[in-house]
Amino acid sequence: MNSLRLGSYTFSSRLILGTGKFSSASAMIEAVRASGTQLVTVALRRFNREQLEDDLFGPLSEIEGLTLMPNTSGAATAREAVKAARISRELSGSPFIKVEIHPNPHHLMPDPIETWEACKILAAEGFIVMPYIPADPVLAKRLEEVGCSSVMPLGSAIGSGQGLSTAEMVKLIIRESNIPVIVDAGLRSPSEACAAMEMGCEAVLVNSAVAVARDPAAMASAFAKAVEAGFEARNAGLMPRSGAAVATSLLTSFLGAAS
Amino acid sequence: MSTISIILNGERKEVPAGASVADLLNSVGAESQNVAVVVNEHIVRPDARASVLLQENDQVEILVFAGGG
Repeated sequence: MNSLRLGSYTFSSRLILGTGKFSSASAMIEAVRASGTQLVTVALRRFNREQLEDDLFGPLSEIEGLTLMPNTSGAATAREAVKAARISRELSGSPFIKVEIHPNPHHLMPDPIETWEACKILAAEGFIVMPYIPADPVLAKRLEEVGCSSVMPLGSAIGSGQGLSTAEMVKLIIRESNIPVIVDAGLRSPSEACAAMEMGCEAVLVNSAVAVARDPAAMASAFAKAVEAGFEARNAGLMPRSGAAVATSLLTSFLGAAS
Repeated sequence: MSTISIILNGERKEVPAGASVADLLNSVGAESQNVAVVVNEHIVRPDARASVLLQENDQVEILVFAGGG
């Protein structure tokens, strides 16, 4: 109940961290450690002997208990995403794949049709498929049906810091979903991550908000606490809303009583 | 020594005729890195790299994991 289940894996941390946009590999590693995350995303790049420090596999594999979730970033079609996933599995030894297919570099919105096609193929090949999707309950259900292990609707555009602008749609996805719903993209502050968890998300995926913070490790730690707080609050049961005040103290009338 | 021409990570490169994928990794300094190698859309696993020989105009990609969200 208290661990996050994805495929056959369980995680005690419900914060998934992206590794892009950090000022250095060491800043990224520090943030990963401070966050307590057990699942991080990475991306395929061409090898360049002049930039060996870009290769994050070595430093990340030194962190105990960390699982890699490669993404298919750069893929504009299902075919490209499937190719990237197969190569990534060779390299990571991990069955996790974040399916990310966005043809338009301006808004980076996921292509739902290509995403569905790729997920269907990769789930059949035994991947733990984690698609990054528009916050669309119908698509989310269709992805569940083809064997995805979670759905990851966007909170707002990647790297935009606009927060949970899709909150109402994410709630609909959660209500209908039998697989974990993870908000991915757009979160700016720990309070937004907390809100996503209170709403019923099973985890959140954060990258830019941590990577570009003045102190990434401290921000990673703050997000970890917020995610935990939101999860705990949801399980504790939030009080119902009321349109009017409901007194917390007995309204006795002795102060106004005639002496 | 005769050479052949391949495309490595999008750029043309001359390599000795008869060179294997493992030889190529050595020549670019990638032998000790955790890399994926794709030749003409086919993944070449580590145990096959010494025996797969490069051919004229092969398209070779050497890939690593970098930061990404």
